[in-house]
Amino acid sequence: MPAPLRLSELDVWVRAEGKMQRDRALSILRSLHIIQITPPGKDKPQEMQLTTNFKNSLRLALEGGGKHSSFGVPSTLPVDARIDIAHLDGYARKKWEDILHYVVNSVPVHGEGLGGGSAGGPKTSVKDLLLAGRLVERRHDTRGGVGITQAGFTFLLQEANAQVWTLLLLWLEAADHSKTAEQAKGFSTEHKPDSIDMLSFLFMLASLELGRAYDTDALTETRRNMLPALVDFGLIYIPREDTRQYFPTRLATTLTSSASALRSVSSGFAAATTNTSNDAASLGLSSAAADPPPNNAPTTNKGSIIIETNYRLYAYTASPLQIAVLALFTQLNMRFAGMVTGRLTRDSIRRAIGFGITADQIIAYLAGHAHEQMVRAAAATGRPVLPPTVVDQIRLWQLENERMRTAAGFLFKDFDTPDEYAALSGYADEIGVLVWRNDRKKVFFASKFEQLRDYLKSRKKAE
Amino acid sequence: MVRAIRGVLIECEPAIKSIIVHFDSVNNDIIIEDLDETHLVVKENMVHVLKQKLEERLKETYRPEEPLQDSE
Repeated sequence: MPAPLRLSELDVWVRAEGKMQRDRALSILRSLHIIQITPPGKDKPQEMQLTTNFKNSLRLALEGGGKHSSFGVPSTLPVDARIDIAHLDGYARKKWEDILHYVVNSVPVHGEGLGGGSAGGPKTSVKDLLLAGRLVERRHDTRGGVGITQAGFTFLLQEANAQVWTLLLLWLEAADHSKTAEQAKGFSTEHKPDSIDMLSFLFMLASLELGRAYDTDALTETRRNMLPALVDFGLIYIPREDTRQYFPTRLATTLTSSASALRSVSSGFAAATTNTSNDAASLGLSSAAADPPPNNAPTTNKGSIIIETNYRLYAYTASPLQIAVLALFTQLNMRFAGMVTGRLTRDSIRRAIGFGITADQIIAYLAGHAHEQMVRAAAATGRPVLPPTVVDQIRLWQLENERMRTAAGFLFKDFDTPDEYAALSGYADEIGVLVWRNDRKKVFFASKFEQLRDYLKSRKKAE
Repeated sequence: MVRAIRGVLIECEPAIKSIIVHFDSVNNDIIIEDLDETHLVVKENMVHVLKQKLEERLKETYRPEEPLQDSE
């Protein structure tokens, strides 16, 4: 779009019933600073055009030109033949599972011995990040000296892509903090990346091609400084003997894609694990670490959990990670080679809810990791995958805990006139602080009072 | 003159409310205002205590059957 486009011309493209969608699309594009719309004037019709920056960058990107290397610079150096996609997948999986393990291992009570998985563990920088993001917190009653938080549980039950983003956002925040802190102390912060540059680097990574080597030297210095952290997360791989190349892993290349790509993560991981070893452990790991979200659970899903209507649960897995996640809300009874059995009980679910896990999260996890056999049986009989009695009961157990809802705030009472009550409660409703009202008794409850006080004062003055 | 009182609004079933009213009847140190069948305003610092008391109380009266005992 080289020249500005008149809005009236745009209207010709849009059907009458699509007006709302058009307005919404325009406002989104405007808020993203992709287009500009001239203000309405008498002599000139309204026009819209791409913002200069976006126009230039888009053109540059389409042509693949410029010195910004928006899609990375492939390395011209010879590539080690051992570094193939399977190798990268294995590497990314190992790194990411180390992180998940670290979070899981911080659970204070778990039924099974987890086999000292914390020995390797993620780098200290990653641990600090998890601490700073309050996914775990320092505690003395656990083996690792840290304990999991509510946010940590939510994190564990997320799908892989969401987990990666959660961690990356924490990282961006942390980087911003340290930068402002150093600026405050008067240090030079030129070599420190700012979060905008970091974010655009991440987007660039996401557009790279899996299994290809890229040139480290083509990156700016600040971006090169980011590489070690990304290596720690498992987003990129740098060969030890040759640091002039970096390889994006599947975790990085699927950053900006949606669930369909995530499925390829999981199937890719599954493929990688079948290549290297066939034991149940790694299969279980792949399903725990990188399963697609339950709503589009494909038939290729490596599910492993069977639940019976009597609340018994069997999981065909030897993965400490998945077992630990299950132990969050299941009472595990026995462990065999490649399988654990347990039950969902009122206590186990209540404990999980006490940790901050919701019933819906548990149900979604179970459905997403249901064994093939369950999915097949359900499809054959046209019933839901999980036994409805179990699903309902999990929800009921959650409701039990919510016997009362609380809201802190202020009770307004003893109004002089009905008018005063109507005006103030109406105003409270308008500004969104009204929690509860009783028109008969002329009392209401609001979450904040400052604005209401000011409103009342100005009302008094007006009278 | 209108008054604003700091507190915590509690919304619950009438049965739970009557238990809370019962707790309050001992020292009158919990409830600020009894609003209606299902609503109460209580003192902010008592919410935690109240929750604990309620949990204990419900444990006494409410013993749900575990669906099935394990044969294992």
